[in-house]
Formats: sequence, C-alpha cells, structure tokens
Amino acid sequence: MFHNSSQRKYWIFSSEDEVEQMRYKANQKFRNKIAESGKPGVSESTFLERHEEDVLFRHYERRLLDFCNAFKPVMPKSVVGTAIMYFRRFYLSNSIMEYHPRIIMLTCAYLSCKVDEFNVSSTQFVGNLLQESPAGQERVLEQILEYELLLIQQLNFHLVVHNPYRPMEGLLIDLKTRYPTLENPESLRKSADDFLTQAAMTDAGLLFPPSQIALTAILNSASRASLSMESYLTECLGLKGDKETLSKMYDSMRRMKTLLKKYELPKAEEVNVYKQKLERIHAEFSTSSNKRKRGYEEDGHVAKEPRITEEEWTDEDLV
Amino acid sequence: MDDQGCPRCKTTKYRNPSLKLMVNVCGHTLCENCVDMLFVRGSGNCVQCDTPLRKSNFRVQLFEDPTVDKEVEIRKKVLKIYNKRDVDFSSLREYNDYLEQLEDIVYNLTNNIDVENTKLRMEQYQRENRDIIQRNKAKLVCIFPPIHNIFINNDNLVLTGGSFSYGLLLSSEKSDCKEKYIMASLGLVEIQPCGQRCNVSFCNIPVLFPRTRQTREQEELEELLLLEQQGNEQRRLDVLQEEQRQLQAKRKNKQALLDELEKSQLPATILLAQHKVRAAQLETQIEQQKQAVKPTNLFSTGIHMRQTVSLQPVPKIEEVLYHYKPLHVEIDGPPVPELEQLGRLGYLNHVRAAMPQDTAGGYTSALACHRAIQDAFGGLFPQKG
Repeated sequence: MFHNSSQRKYWIFSSEDEVEQMRYKANQKFRNKIAESGKPGVSESTFLERHEEDVLFRHYERRLLDFCNAFKPVMPKSVVGTAIMYFRRFYLSNSIMEYHPRIIMLTCAYLSCKVDEFNVSSTQFVGNLLQESPAGQERVLEQILEYELLLIQQLNFHLVVHNPYRPMEGLLIDLKTRYPTLENPESLRKSADDFLTQAAMTDAGLLFPPSQIALTAILNSASRASLSMESYLTECLGLKGDKETLSKMYDSMRRMKTLLKKYELPKAEEVNVYKQKLERIHAEFSTSSNKRKRGYEEDGHVAKEPRITEEEWTDEDLV
Repeated sequence: MDDQGCPRCKTTKYRNPSLKLMVNVCGHTLCENCVDMLFVRGSGNCVQCDTPLRKSNFRVQLFEDPTVDKEVEIRKKVLKIYNKRDVDFSSLREYNDYLEQLEDIVYNLTNNIDVENTKLRMEQYQRENRDIIQRNKAKLVCIFPPIHNIFINNDNLVLTGGSFSYGLLLSSEKSDCKEKYIMASLGLVEIQPCGQRCNVSFCNIPVLFPRTRQTREQEELEELLLLEQQGNEQRRLDVLQEEQRQLQAKRKNKQALLDELEKSQLPATILLAQHKVRAAQLETQIEQQKQAVKPTNLFSTGIHMRQTVSLQPVPKIEEVLYHYKPLHVEIDGPPVPELEQLGRLGYLNHVRAAMPQDTAGGYTSALACHRAIQDAFGGLFPQKG
C-alpha cells in the first residue's frame, strides 16, 4: 500500500526546485571531491555543468527505456517503470561524472527485474546485449553484480517502487463500474498509457503519488477525446463539497502536464559533445571512482577479484 | 558454566568431568595435573599473573568463580587478626564501623587494590591490638568446663568437675601448672589446643574438652528450646493438678451423698436422684474444662502467637486496561470498497475472471481488483497542510 510506503515517506519531494537542488549538490560534491584529491590540471571547464549532466541523463534514460522495451522476454511495464525510477533516484544524490550511467542503467534494470519478480537469470539478462560477444557479456555481468550493492545502498534499501500502472487499471475498473456516463473507458487506455510512459521520463514520479499520475493520465486522455470527466471527480470520488482538494488536484495535474510538455529529447550533437567530456572525466578520475564503487568491499564484505579490464565496452554496443 | 577449565592445558569440566581445579592466593585457577607438573619443586610462579606461589597453598576450587575462593582464603586470614566481638565495643556504631573497615580490607586484598597499604594497615592494627587479639583467639579456641576441685595426688594433678575427673601427670612445678590452668580458664594466658586427653600440653597447660564457642543463633535457639521444654513441663503439671482436683471433687460429691443419706429425712430415692443430677453436672463441668485447654502462646518456631505480623496486602498495580480501537488507515483518497463487497458493487464484472487453476492457491479475482482500486485511490488527494 502506498500510504505507508518508503516512496511516500522519502521519495516524494515537494517541488521541482528541491529535486534540482539535490542534483546540484551531487554535482558539487563530485567537484569538491576531485578538488580535495588535488589532481593536477583540473579546471572548472573539465566538469560537466548541471544542464549538460541533464542532457546526458536524459540520453541514458532513453537508452534504458529502449533496452527495456527491446528486452526478450518482454518486460512488464512495472519492471521498466521501477528501473527508470531507480535510475532517477540514484542520480539524485550521485553525479553521472562519478558513476557512469552506462553501467548504472543496466544495474537498475537488473535489480528491478529481481524486485518486481520478473524472473530472468543473469546470463539471460546480459544475453539481451546483442552486440556483445559472450565474453563481453560476461564482463558486463560482472560489472552489474559489482555495482548492484552500491545501487541498493544508494537507494537507501527502499526497493519497492509504486508505479502508476496498477492505479490506472484500478481507475479504469472504477470508471467502468461507477461511471456509466463514459461510454467506452477502454478507448482512453491507449493515450493514457502513452502519457504514463512520458511521465516516467520526467520527474513526475518524484513529485506526485502514482495514483495522481494515473488519474491525470486518464483525465488527459479523456480531454483529448474531448470528453469531460469532471463529474467523475465530483460525484464518484466524493469531491463535490471539497473545493479546496479539487483545486489542489487540478493544480498538480497542471504541473504534471507542464512537466511533460517541457520534456524534450536530447539533441544528438549535444549528446556527442558531452559524452566525450564524460568519457574524459571517467578516464581521468577513474581511480578515485573505482575506489568509491568498491566501497562496500572495504566494509569487510566478500570482495571479488579486482577488475582487470575496466570499461572496455562502450555504450555504442548496446544499440 | 560449561567453559570452566584449566587456562593452561585447556581441559574443561565438560571434557573431563573428574577435572579438579585448584586455586592459589592470587585467585587464578590451574588444574591438578598442571599444578603437579609446574610445582614439582614446591614453588613457582602463577601462569597468569606471575605471582610467586607455593604448591602447598593450592586449594581445591570450591566455587565456580575462583575469586570467591580467593576471597574466602583472604577472609580467613584477615579474620584471624580482626577477631574482635561486639562485646569489645562500647556502641553498636563502633562495632559496625569496625566491621566495615574489615570488609574494606578484604575487598582491597581480593581485588588487588592498594595491597601494600592495606597490608601495612593490618600489621599496624595487629601491633596495636595484640592483647585483644590474643584473648579473643583463646576465647574462640575453647571453653573450659567449670572445675569444682583441684588437688594434687602423688604426681598427678586431679581436676574434678560436675561430670568428670581427670588425673594429669605433672612434669613441671605443680603449683605453677595449677595457677596457669586457672589463668587460662580466665583467658589470660595463651594456650595451645592439643586434644582431649593429653596429659601435659605443649606449654604445660592441659586443655579439656576444647569446644568452639557457639554462635549467637545457636544460643538463642537453645534458649528457645529450653523455654519450650519448660512450657511443656508446665502444661503437664497443670494437667496433673486438674486431674487431682477433679478426683477430689468426685470424692467430695460421694462423701456428701453419704452424709446426706445419713442425716437427711428425705427418702433415699430422692437423694440418689439429686446425687445423680449433681454428678452429671460435675461431669459436664469437667468435660468443659478439658475442652478449654489452655492455648499455647508460642509456635515451635519461636514466634509468639498473637504477635502482630504485618499482613498488608501486596500493593496492587493499577493499569489502564487495553482498549481495542479498530484499525483506521488514512490513505489520502476516496474510500475503498471492502473486499467482500466488490462483487455486489459490480466491480468484478470488469475484471478477468480467475481461472480454476488460479483459485487452487486461494486466489480470487477480487483480490487483484481490490488491490488495483486500493492503489488507484491511495494518495489520490493532495496531502493536507
């Protein structure tokens, strides 16, 4: 149940500014760390700016979505949603300059398969990296397993993610049962689904409860079909006398829609420029990040043999 | 404890049930075998604390915790010096202070706190109180039975008391011995106990019936027993007296009948009837008296019967009773229909019916439906505030 979940308690933020603030802090944290380590030849321009980070983040998020959608066997939507949510939560407190999104995104997908009871074996999972040779897949798998614990730790062990997909089903059932005014609720499904997919690529999941996102999706889909569903809110959901709640809900729906509208796909040329920068940063500061990501090994956990080949594969292979 | 064992050879009680652990003055354990091995030459150092030890000082460990053994040993030693009794003090307060001081010393020595100073303190005390220590030691050793007569017969000193008569061969001067005996019995001279019937003791003082002094509790108990015995005796006498009186009364009654028969003008039958009535009265009186046995006022445990014993009821603990409140879940949304009502409200018409193979595990389509609606409504309204 969502009402007493860790998601509601710790992972729903009040405003976009707060989320942005956290990402900014993560960016600063990495800069400070490098500055403290006293590496020579470090200038401000070496690092990624926040907006550059954002572009790359969206780029890799898109890749994560593509990877999940191309996954065989077909991945349920909730698994994909969970994976994307992990990815977002992880980079709230970590900079992409510190942990390469290429491997984190795969780790997120791998972990969400486990958590959402989508049973694939690890070899089956990396088998979906079609461009990789079996040896390459093996290497990726090792990296995934290496980052998995770090990811769980960075998620504060809050692994259950409430996605808006089931609430949408619930709302559709409720519509069919209690709202006969609407002739064919199933007709709303297609565009509502698209809305949810888009919403997953935004911060909506970090700002609104999943049921609100689902309701917005349905109302949005209805208004597109030029159907008015206001009476559903007032009559069936019992908001007739509660003007305050109603206006607040409309407000958050508006915010959600603008959030979705603001989303734009990262431009390929920008991505390429920033990606080179990112690769440079990782190549240069890899030792320090290596140390970080093995943090859990220093805690006395069973350590694996150190990686001999570090990040030989590039994300071009994933496509 | 299971892990009680020898620190040197690591044998434990569990593995060797006949393991004998020994303790020395430092309070560290060793098993018997290790003691035999390490202290072949009679002395050596403690394995754990390096204190020089003698083999003869090893004692069998009686307590689970060897420090207790150590304390017992130390207490024995300290009590040899600190042997004052309560009668040696003018007030209870002083006696208690003294006891406290004694406990301090025992504690310090047991736990190795300030050992040197404590030992010095003990020595000083011993020097200052030599006389009292000696006297109390003598007192503790034996009590001389009262001697009624002492005389010298040939070369024997003959002592006679209430239930004994001993002849003692004298080797030293007779008068001196006699004097010393008297002094010893008054506790003025140190004597060495040497058994019941030795003729001449180490320091020429015979010791008769050495008997350790009874503890106060024992004395009190004996006193009580004596009292009880006296009470029993008293009761027996009372009963005897009562019987005597009854007999006398009966006799008097008979005598009165005879007298009346002699003197009275009334017919004998009436007199006899009167006598019978009186006799019956007497009988009932006696019966009543017998029943009204004088109650004892002392339990055998020594507690007086009508003693007020505090019988206050055990304090009751007042607690607020648990009050059941039905679970109310705040879901920030419209009310969710109950699981049981989903079918009636028509929700189940809009979900896929469960397959027979699904229902085998207890699954119903209502479960999934309920969950979906719960998820849809939970958190739907913006949080207040």
